[in-house]
Order: sequence, then C-alpha cells, then structure tokens
Amino acid sequence: MLVDRTRQKTWVVIAAYNEAAVVRGVVSDVVAEGWSVVVVDDGSTDETAANARVPGGVVLKHSINLGQGAALQTGIEFAMRRGAEAIVTFDADGQHLVSDIPTLIGALERADVVLGSRGLGRVVGASAARRVFLRLAALVSNLMSGMSLTDAHCGLRAFRASMMPKLRMQQERMAHASELLSLIQKSRARVVEVPVEVRYTAYSKQKGQSGLQAIRILFDQLFRT
Amino acid sequence: MIIRVVMLAALIAIGYLGFVRRNRLPFHIFLVFAILAVAAVAVVFPAKTDIVAAWVGVGRGVDLIGYLVQVSLLFISLHYYTKFVDMQRQITQLVRELAILRAEMEVPPELPRGADEP
Repeated sequence: MLVDRTRQKTWVVIAAYNEAAVVRGVVSDVVAEGWSVVVVDDGSTDETAANARVPGGVVLKHSINLGQGAALQTGIEFAMRRGAEAIVTFDADGQHLVSDIPTLIGALERADVVLGSRGLGRVVGASAARRVFLRLAALVSNLMSGMSLTDAHCGLRAFRASMMPKLRMQQERMAHASELLSLIQKSRARVVEVPVEVRYTAYSKQKGQSGLQAIRILFDQLFRT
Repeated sequence: MIIRVVMLAALIAIGYLGFVRRNRLPFHIFLVFAILAVAAVAVVFPAKTDIVAAWVGVGRGVDLIGYLVQVSLLFISLHYYTKFVDMQRQITQLVRELAILRAEMEVPPELPRGADEP
C-alpha cells in the first residue's frame, strides 16, 4: 500500500444507506489507494455497516436514518476530529471512480473547493432523458445559488479542511447539495470544477434519485431553512 | 338546541384539560380560560357576535369567527412546523454525536493509524 502523507491526511467521506451489495467493493478500492476513509452508515436496515468494515477504514453508524446530508456532515466532523487536511465526498453506490480523486486533490492546490462535474466529464450509461434532466437541474441550481456550474449535484467533491467550519450543512436529506453550494458561495471560496466520470449502472439507477424527487429537494431547500 | 350542548361540552373538556395540565405560566392558563369564556358566550348568545363583527368591519359574527379560526390554524401549523424542524436538527445532532463517540470508543483518536483494527 502506498504510504503517502497527503493521502493519509485526505479523508474520503462515504455516506451509505442500504448499500450492502456494493459498499465493500467501493470502500476497499478507496482504502487500497491509501486514502483515509470514513463510511457513515445512515441507519441502514441491511448489512451495510458490517460489509463496510474494511481494514484501514472507519465505520460510523447512525442509529436512525437521517438522510445523506446528515450522514456526510457526520463523516466530515469525524474526519476533522482526526486532523483531516482535505475532505472528499464520494458516493457509496460505485458510480464514481477512485482514480478521479487525485485529480480533485491536485486541483485543491489552486482552489478551496473542487467540484466533480458530469457536465465536463463523461457520463456512462445514462438515458437521454437523464442527461436532459441533469442539464436542467444544473440550470435551476445556478439560478438559485448564483454560481455558474456545469453540474448541480455531483457527489464527488473535495474541500480544504480549513473551509469546513464555514460549510456546515443543516439539510438532512438531498437538499444538502444545494445548501452546500449556497454555503460555498457565501464563504467566497475559490471553486473549480474538474471533469469526472460517472458510471450509471443498473444498481445505481435503481438506488439513485428519480427526477420526481427533485420536487421534494426543492421543497426542503425553500422551506426548511 | 343540541349543538349548543355539544359546543359547551367541548369547551368544558378543553378547559378541564387545560386545568389538569397546568405546566404553563399562570398567564397562559388565564388566557386559555378567557378565550374559553368568550367562546361560551358566543355559543349561548350567537347574536352578540354580530355586534363585535360590526365593530371590526365584518358583516356577520360567523364570518368573523371563521376568519379568526383560519388565522389561528395557520399560526399553529407554522409554530409546530418550526418546532418540528428544530427537533429534527436536535435529533440529528444527537445521532451524530453518538455515531462519532461510538467510533472513538473503538478507535481512540490518539492512536496512530494502522492501529485501528482490533
């Protein structure tokens, strides 16, 4: 295993809810590359927590299901207590590539926040409707956050640890992604987008967000502030 | 009329509950009983509500009561929604602390990396 100080001080935060089938593979891949990993099992009803226990990784367990935003925030706070210098958020369903993490961390040298972008990168396995939806979501998101990004809600991001106190997410569920963008905007962080590859598999599509849930996200964003 | 009996019984029930659960400020209890007394007067002498309605510029007493009920319900929903969101945040904070504490009991933060496996 690579013993790389940067990688040890970079904590990859993975929020997982009922991902027993895939979480071990994802965590193993990240650990194998020498990154520090914290998995937050968000009150799963399956074997997610047990399967996420990979030597070298830490598993936190929410007693009840709170939502992805809350789970990420828990992982981030744990990583900060462990002296993280950089934070990476990574999806548990295997749609991101571990090989994209060095690109994000590399970009942190000239930015405080690095956002993965499906708009700049490659999207594998998505339907035409999903691509249109992603573009629309980015458009709405830009209107609301006042930023101009090519992707609204990519789960792959990297942050300088020093930014985290300003980026405390309060939205428990999926609206955290939009909340995060507003917080980034308010914090005046230097933001760059880097192309990342996202693979939509049959598994990730079945687990992922349907277009209809966008309405719930919008509601949370507007009224739960 | 039956409706008067029903309404008065309901007001008495509310008053009784308010009296039993006296875990509030005396002012709150006084306020609740004052509102109940006004409501009882309105039930017994419905025509009196028209007079009050005329003072504030509403046609009929029934309408005035309707408006007041709507505004109060809206206020109550907002009040409890705010409380609900606050409570959710508190639960989140508790669950988060618990998750972090449990992990730190397994692997104390002082230990060097690599020692985190039992």
